[in-house]
Amino acid sequence: MTGQSTALKLLGLCALLAFPLMPFSSEYVLHVAVLIMVYAVLAMGLNVLPGFCDLLDLGYVGFYGIGAYTAGILSLNYDMSFWVVVPLAAALGALCGVLRGAPTLRLSGDYFAIVTFGFTELVVLFLTNEIWLTRGPLGMPGIPPIDINLSWLGIDWRYDFMSETPYYYLGLLMVAFVYVVMCRIEDSRLGRAWLSIKEDPLAAASCGINLMAYKSVAFAFSAAVGALAGCFMARWSMFLAPDVFKFWESFLVLCMIVLGGLGNINGAIVGSVVLIALGEVLRVVLPHFGLPTETRFLAYGLLMILIMRFKPGGIFPAIAATSKKSRLIMDLKARLQAERAG
Amino acid sequence: MDTILNIDGVSKRFGGLLALADVSFEVKKGHILGLIGPNGAGKTTMFNCIAGIYTPTEGTITFDKGGAPVSVGGSRPEQMTQMGVARTFQNIRLFGSLPVLDNVRIGRHCRAAQGFWGAVLRTKAQKAEEKLLVEQSLEYLDFVGLKHKALDLSSSLSYGDQRRLEIARALASQPKLLLLDEPAAGMNPQETGSLVDLIHAILEKDVTVVLIEHDMKLVMSICEHLVVLDHGVKIAEGGPREIRENPEVIEAYLGRGAAHA
Ligand SMILES: Nc1ncnc2c1ncn2[C@@H]1O[C@H](COP(=O)(O)OP(=O)(O)OP(=O)(O)O)[C@@H](O)[C@H]1O
Ligand SMILES: [Mg+2]
Repeated sequence: MTGQSTALKLLGLCALLAFPLMPFSSEYVLHVAVLIMVYAVLAMGLNVLPGFCDLLDLGYVGFYGIGAYTAGILSLNYDMSFWVVVPLAAALGALCGVLRGAPTLRLSGDYFAIVTFGFTELVVLFLTNEIWLTRGPLGMPGIPPIDINLSWLGIDWRYDFMSETPYYYLGLLMVAFVYVVMCRIEDSRLGRAWLSIKEDPLAAASCGINLMAYKSVAFAFSAAVGALAGCFMARWSMFLAPDVFKFWESFLVLCMIVLGGLGNINGAIVGSVVLIALGEVLRVVLPHFGLPTETRFLAYGLLMILIMRFKPGGIFPAIAATSKKSRLIMDLKARLQAERAG
Repeated sequence: MDTILNIDGVSKRFGGLLALADVSFEVKKGHILGLIGPNGAGKTTMFNCIAGIYTPTEGTITFDKGGAPVSVGGSRPEQMTQMGVARTFQNIRLFGSLPVLDNVRIGRHCRAAQGFWGAVLRTKAQKAEEKLLVEQSLEYLDFVGLKHKALDLSSSLSYGDQRRLEIARALASQPKLLLLDEPAAGMNPQETGSLVDLIHAILEKDVTVVLIEHDMKLVMSICEHLVVLDHGVKIAEGGPREIRENPEVIEAYLGRGAAHA
């Protein structure tokens, strides 16, 4: 059984790696694939709050915006390398995440949702009005693409990301990195503490879990992942404007994790694939019916209603799924089975 | 005999309702104390005050965590657990979507240390701790007789098993004082019987127990000392025989037939 599933996983990995080499992989197809990856990272990052801790976050793209503009400003004005910008943006994102969550720590969950809603509006207003820093509604064009420059090692070698293909591979690496980190955290003392807060905060506190401390870690981590996605996006699209980070984007990411299954990491990825792919298809199809492309939000809504009606837990409803497949638990399962038989 | 918990003049007010009115009693180390009284007497409220969920409106609670007794009224629940007070809930509060094992692993949270970076980097110490957590959790499950169900979903357990799992989760925090809120509620006579054995085994582990229970046969058979609450007021205190014959307790709670039961 395990041999079969590893073979399947290997096959999937090969397919993903070979994807850009296929004849159908035009720049457009690769562009959509990279977009899916950005949203997959956003969905996994958002999942930490509503999925692991039961904290409804309605303003997640605020951190996406903070990460993107941090990358844009540092790259444009200070000529900083992408690799330096990423940790800085993630750290700033984490700080903003904690600052945003701090006022709600002593309040019930509903207040958190209200504060997060206000937060995205605040970010968009800031990006629109602080023209000296962000150029406001004019947006920020001319952000340089990602490059790999080994001059600091004394080697005269430089590679610029000029097509979608290198972004595809870097994006894949980013998704894999965030995925592994998420899985490791989910199957750990920290992840279990989060899940216990989701299940029953009072019982969690009675088990010795400091709710405020653990929620703060969740705020910081979730926001840092959002900022990471923003960083990548800024240096990929090379243009930023404030209205990319409106409330609707947060809602879209939220739909992805609800569709995939709240609290399920695989679900977050599947949800982003489904909704972004659907969005692209609708963008082509809708004009044929004489409908504006904005009607795709109606289709998203319809999809959400269907999932709520027929599969309310999402495509993958299980929580703590990583732990179930961990070596420790598999060993234990075998041991218990042997004990029962013996 | 040492006192592990001292309740001194504790009152708790909810708006216009005085749920506890100037209640005082002591819990002796290594013994089991029964807290009884009619519905709404304030028993669970007393537990919530001890466990840090409510702050008493008045009065002091001192707990001896080893060393000198400290005043703990108004501490947060996680601080109380850390100090060695664990509790179960009257209306079972398990982490229902998680496996039985995870409930106990979470119960052991305060006796483990690994955080964010340990989890991400999977350090040697983190892996060792995770392994140890599983082994220790299995021991607690074995203790309450649920080891073979370690990987089942906790909400799939029978009512009696869920109560046992709550006890295992509470024990996993290595408490000095265990508060059991109606552990026999909803159990059949057979399950109640094995609960009695379990409570005796807990006492043998040097854990002090405070028990809220409406099953008088159970309470009278295992508690050496009883405190009776009625409408937030302590109306009697003493050994089982004394309590059974106390006219005030008979009037308020036991009913006239009880003295001959
Ligand atoms: N959070 C609260 N807010 C307001 N009133 C409360 C609260 N908690 C308890 N009460 C009230 O305090 C009184 C004592 O309740 P408590 O739950 O302590 O009773 P109990 O002795 O545990 O009863 P039972 O045997 O039914 O469990 C009740 O009248 C109850 O309605
Ligand atoms: Mg009660």
